[in-house]
Amino acid sequence: MQQDHIRNFSIIAHIDHGKSTLADRLIEITGTLQKREMEDQILDSMDLERERGITIKDQAVRCFYTAKDGGEYMLNFIDTPGHVDFNYEVSRALAACEGALLVIDASQGIEAQTLANTYLALDNDLEIIPVINKIDLPSADPDKVKKEIEDVIGIDASESILCSAKTGEGVGDILEAIVHRIPAPVGNGAAPLKALVFDSKFDSYKGVLLYLRLYDGMVKKGMKIRMYSTGAEYEVTEVGIFKPNPENVEVLTAGEVGFLAASIKTVGEARVGDTVTDAAHPCETPLPGYRKATPMVFCGLYPVENTDYDNLRDALEKLQLNDASLLFEPETSTALGFGFRCGFLGLLHMDVIKERLEREYKLDLITTAPNVVYQIHKTNGDTVLVDNPSSFPDPTTIASVEEPYVAATIIVPKDYVGAVMELSQEKRGEYQNMTYLDEDRVMIHYALPLSEIIYDYFDRLKSCSRGYASLDYELAGYRPSDLVKVDILLNGDPVDALSAIVHRENAQAQGRKLVERLRSLIPRQQFQIPVQAAIGNKIIAREDVAALRKDVLAKCYGGDISRKRKLLEKQKAGKKRLKQVGTVELPQEAFMAILSMDKK
Amino acid sequence: MKPYDAFQGVYVHTPFCVRKCLYCDFPSYAGCPAALQERYVEALCREIRNPALSYWKKPVAPEATVYFGGGTPTVLSARQLGRVVAALKEAGWWRHPAEATIEANPGTVDPAKLQALRELGFDRLSLGVQSFQDGELQAIGRIHTASQAVQALQWAKEAGFRRLSVDLMYGLPGQTRDSFRQSLDQALSLGLEHISAYSLIVEEGTPLERLVREGRTTLPDDDATGAMYDDVTHILAAAGLARYEVSNYAVPGQESRHNEVYWHYLPYAAFGAAACGFDGSLRKTNTAGVEGYVRAMEEGQAGTVWQIEELPPATRLEEAVFMGLRTTRGVSLADLDERFGTNVSSIYKKEMGDLTRKGMVEIRQGRMRLTPFGMRYGNEAFEAFIRTGED
Repeated sequence: MQQDHIRNFSIIAHIDHGKSTLADRLIEITGTLQKREMEDQILDSMDLERERGITIKDQAVRCFYTAKDGGEYMLNFIDTPGHVDFNYEVSRALAACEGALLVIDASQGIEAQTLANTYLALDNDLEIIPVINKIDLPSADPDKVKKEIEDVIGIDASESILCSAKTGEGVGDILEAIVHRIPAPVGNGAAPLKALVFDSKFDSYKGVLLYLRLYDGMVKKGMKIRMYSTGAEYEVTEVGIFKPNPENVEVLTAGEVGFLAASIKTVGEARVGDTVTDAAHPCETPLPGYRKATPMVFCGLYPVENTDYDNLRDALEKLQLNDASLLFEPETSTALGFGFRCGFLGLLHMDVIKERLEREYKLDLITTAPNVVYQIHKTNGDTVLVDNPSSFPDPTTIASVEEPYVAATIIVPKDYVGAVMELSQEKRGEYQNMTYLDEDRVMIHYALPLSEIIYDYFDRLKSCSRGYASLDYELAGYRPSDLVKVDILLNGDPVDALSAIVHRENAQAQGRKLVERLRSLIPRQQFQIPVQAAIGNKIIAREDVAALRKDVLAKCYGGDISRKRKLLEKQKAGKKRLKQVGTVELPQEAFMAILSMDKK
Repeated sequence: MKPYDAFQGVYVHTPFCVRKCLYCDFPSYAGCPAALQERYVEALCREIRNPALSYWKKPVAPEATVYFGGGTPTVLSARQLGRVVAALKEAGWWRHPAEATIEANPGTVDPAKLQALRELGFDRLSLGVQSFQDGELQAIGRIHTASQAVQALQWAKEAGFRRLSVDLMYGLPGQTRDSFRQSLDQALSLGLEHISAYSLIVEEGTPLERLVREGRTTLPDDDATGAMYDDVTHILAAAGLARYEVSNYAVPGQESRHNEVYWHYLPYAAFGAAACGFDGSLRKTNTAGVEGYVRAMEEGQAGTVWQIEELPPATRLEEAVFMGLRTTRGVSLADLDERFGTNVSSIYKKEMGDLTRKGMVEIRQGRMRLTPFGMRYGNEAFEAFIRTGED
């Protein structure tokens, strides 16, 4: 198809503003899938994506649309994740497009991720079409939203499209706007191949599938391609498009979006952001690409049963095939044995990986509390990066410590400003500024330690604002901090996997809360268990888990044997999920105690 | 013939009560019409007389124990109970029982009835006293008072019952360590030589569970109940009643022979609605529904209301071990090896080693038993020996 009849676009939105529903509607209306093939949130193909109502992976779909002017257009549309953890995936998707639909909920208005995603789109010079969704809701106020778009984002909202993805109203206008407002790609079909890898996916039969946006040239089966960054060459075995199921095509040409397979064995060989070119006639310069996704949150993953170690490694390797942002390397804990230190984009990413390991690979896991990467300047002049509290150096060798900060954007109704500020202050936040979006809503900027965000900041933000606050953040460098390591001792023995790094000023209080929480989480055992928090050699808090006084079925008669046996079996199965640490048995939640310290 | 080749006990279930206690999740019904009770007695006699209805085909040991439990067997009249006893005798289930026990609620007996029970041949009475504190009895919905219990025991002695046992409970709503000691002292002052002392379990679906959940009744905490557990053992031992099972105490020689059949995993036949028996290799449980049971026996269709569970040898071995460990005598390893054609010490090498190291189990003179410490945490030991059901 002629490039002037191609449109490449993306949909960006705050979570729950209706992005996936609009995508479904576009696929349905363009006849890409028959109605009977449709299921809700068609692009969220992972079970987890459907269950949690989130999009995790980028998806690319090709649709054909006959516009009112009679021309037939090829619409390549790339669905993007809406969660802050996956902003990195959003930016990759946007780089492959010329335009974006900016979907905003007609009653909620602009939220933190609306802004973050819009800025990403503007950075990529995309044509932005504001779409005000959910106008069928009684609380919809499109005029207010339009004003917000103009005041806050500063783009013209007069041509915003009003729609209801649910009822289909306005979706036709969106299709017309895509055709008439988003520019066609302007590549050179005769030039050497130049294509951007914007995502990749491992397929056990075909090897790695590269998701491509072609800028110049063409690619077809049998061609030899070269990865620009590594110089590695492969023979193309398949080229295709997503409708949204993969479908092979003869050729992909400049301006198009699709995939190729070339017997590439690992995702590592095909880095996202790399440029694919023709091995015989390579292009002169690569595309700009992207920065590599850097994991910000680390935690230890350990099998409950030590014998599952190899299975865990295999499972992590398999997940990494589709998720280059997942990092892991072996580590050993004196308490937990052999496991892995894993790096994630954020807490949601961590949760998703953990859940997939447990669900898809049937592993029983202990997850240690998440933490960030600290920069430690030692008195001997060395600087070390520490991603695990247990490897925090001896305090006497530390000259100074720096921790990562984020620039956080919070949007909240003005009534909750006080509560948000109080919370942010408690979380060691540094107030930056505040602007009114309208009479009711306020945008606040804070600099916050990332470690506070990954603990319970978001949950508490939601609860102190009755769910109204939205949050977005981006990494904003390192700052010096007075941090200390709090160790936890059970029965007098330190348990490395329970150590935490906290600010010195809060250490006493945190230590106290942590031992209280642990006391409530650790089941009573046959002996009393002292739970202590210590900084260095100094004990700062102590609680005791009282001994279990007795644990024996009072009665078991003839008729009762089957029932009592089932009860014992169930109890036994429950105990299997406990991790033996020294003489003490710990439930999985104990290792995450620091995340739930304020629960009783 | 080995003891496990013949029925060593006979159980008869009466699923009726005057009123249901708040903690009870046993198969028993309050307010059953007299006509249905009458039909039940008749159905029970049919089941006892006809092996096709009872399923039980193994030989009966001549001295097999007899136990009438419930529910409340004494809800039935002496005449009705007499018909059941007659059926048992006629069908050869009751010959020269080593012990014939009937359970009774203090609120359902009088001198005449107790006299009649003696005449029927019962020589042991198990009285559900639960507590000698009226407030505690009320809190769990018992129909009798403490003084009625004392009276019933007196009448039982007068009727000629030499072997008397009472059930007591601890961990009851409103109970304190002191009030429980008083109940124990009272039981001892009455000269009882057998006491069962059970820790209250709040079972799901019982009215008590709802009361606790809704905060309308408060139970003593774990520490208090734990202290009561200690008190039972010490106080009763000091009075000469040694523990012989997790919850049972007796002057030596006064142990319940019938219950020992269960704990030593010997075969016992069972009759009645909800009755569950074991013939040495399979367990049969009758339907708990009274009407269904009665109709099936009347129509000769017992097979439609029983459930049969074939127990594979491995399961039987596990159950034999965990039931046996409930007793202070424990299990004889050689007997188990012989009975199940296996080697217990090698099958359970790891478990026995771990539990011995923890001081929960001791192996001496060919017997494995729980130590007093091990008995306190018996569930851990029982669980260790249960393997089926795991992947």
